[in-house]
Amino acid sequence: MSQSVNVRTIVIQGLAVLMVCAAIEIFVGNVMGAMEEHLVATLPGLILVIPPLLSLRGNVNGALASRLGTALNTGSMESKFSMSKELKVNLISSLILSFMASATIGILSCLIGALLGIEAINFMVLITIAITAGVLSGVILAILTVVVAIFSYIKRWDPDNVTAPLMATIGDLVTMVSIFIIVFLV
Amino acid sequence: MRKMTAYSIKRILWESYPILVLCAVISLAAGFVLNLQIESIKALPLILVMVPPINGINNNVCSILGARLTSALAIGTIKPKFGKQSALRKNTQASWLMSLGVFSFSSAVFFLLALISGIEFLKSIMIMFGFFAASVAAIGVTMLCTIWLAFVSFSKGLDPDNVVIPLVTSIGDIIGVTCLIIVMKIVGV
Repeated sequence: MSQSVNVRTIVIQGLAVLMVCAAIEIFVGNVMGAMEEHLVATLPGLILVIPPLLSLRGNVNGALASRLGTALNTGSMESKFSMSKELKVNLISSLILSFMASATIGILSCLIGALLGIEAINFMVLITIAITAGVLSGVILAILTVVVAIFSYIKRWDPDNVTAPLMATIGDLVTMVSIFIIVFLV
Repeated sequence: MRKMTAYSIKRILWESYPILVLCAVISLAAGFVLNLQIESIKALPLILVMVPPINGINNNVCSILGARLTSALAIGTIKPKFGKQSALRKNTQASWLMSLGVFSFSSAVFFLLALISGIEFLKSIMIMFGFFAASVAAIGVTMLCTIWLAFVSFSKGLDPDNVVIPLVTSIGDIIGVTCLIIVMKIVGV
């Protein structure tokens, strides 16, 4: 990453990526809007878990992308899609983290909901939605993260300015669609 | 400042899980703010559509800023204190310009979405300005938090990748949602 601070370059490079991200985020918003009925009426408490589930995805996969980027740059991982030990360790820990953190979010939101007296929360449904949506999007995103990390390494994209925002946004998209699917299945 | 030691599943889990739980608690507060305002959301479901963009863009801009600041702190081009520093000023300037660009674009899209969903012209304009004002307020506050967190984590020797970015995104969630709800109350839609 170049260290000279050139406002013009940062803005031009960043703006292009952020515009794409903004367009995707607005689409994600529309998916959330389509669940309005469930969010405001039929599934009280669901709205509690959406911000943490979205942030969780960004955090787990952002960290995964950053570790893979470091591994690629230091040469401990090669830029091809074979299951090296390095990649396996990173993937497995991300998946375990996804599961543990989604379950924690489900349980915490139930506790908070109960403490603050939000009525008519169906605890089992809420925890099920948090875990299944978290794990479903975790699996899809772990694969996507590896692909994007290797691709951006080959293309020499700036990991901070390009890969990280892109992964965060793709994370929001996949997570919201997963929640949407699970909510309509439950 | 990235560690070069080999990764083990146990170490990754051990290092990441506590901070993820902390972030989950902070983000849950954002969900709680939304839940408190469920009546406003019923009146204007477009608020729901605004939540992912305002949080997502806020997080992206501030994560980029956080990553740049922590790198600059590590190599010494920025000192960990507020005040006149050319590198710090240029980085915040770049973040402001980027966010103004992206939020203008998103506000215009929300104006169109409001019109399409059958909201009258004047109210759609109010919604557009509301989203813009909320985003600008949110990004200002979140940027301040980012700079402060970057300085604190640097001074305390915490790993910026594992601490600053996750905390910034979670705190940004609360700030984004709160600004959105307050501004939508003010513009009265």
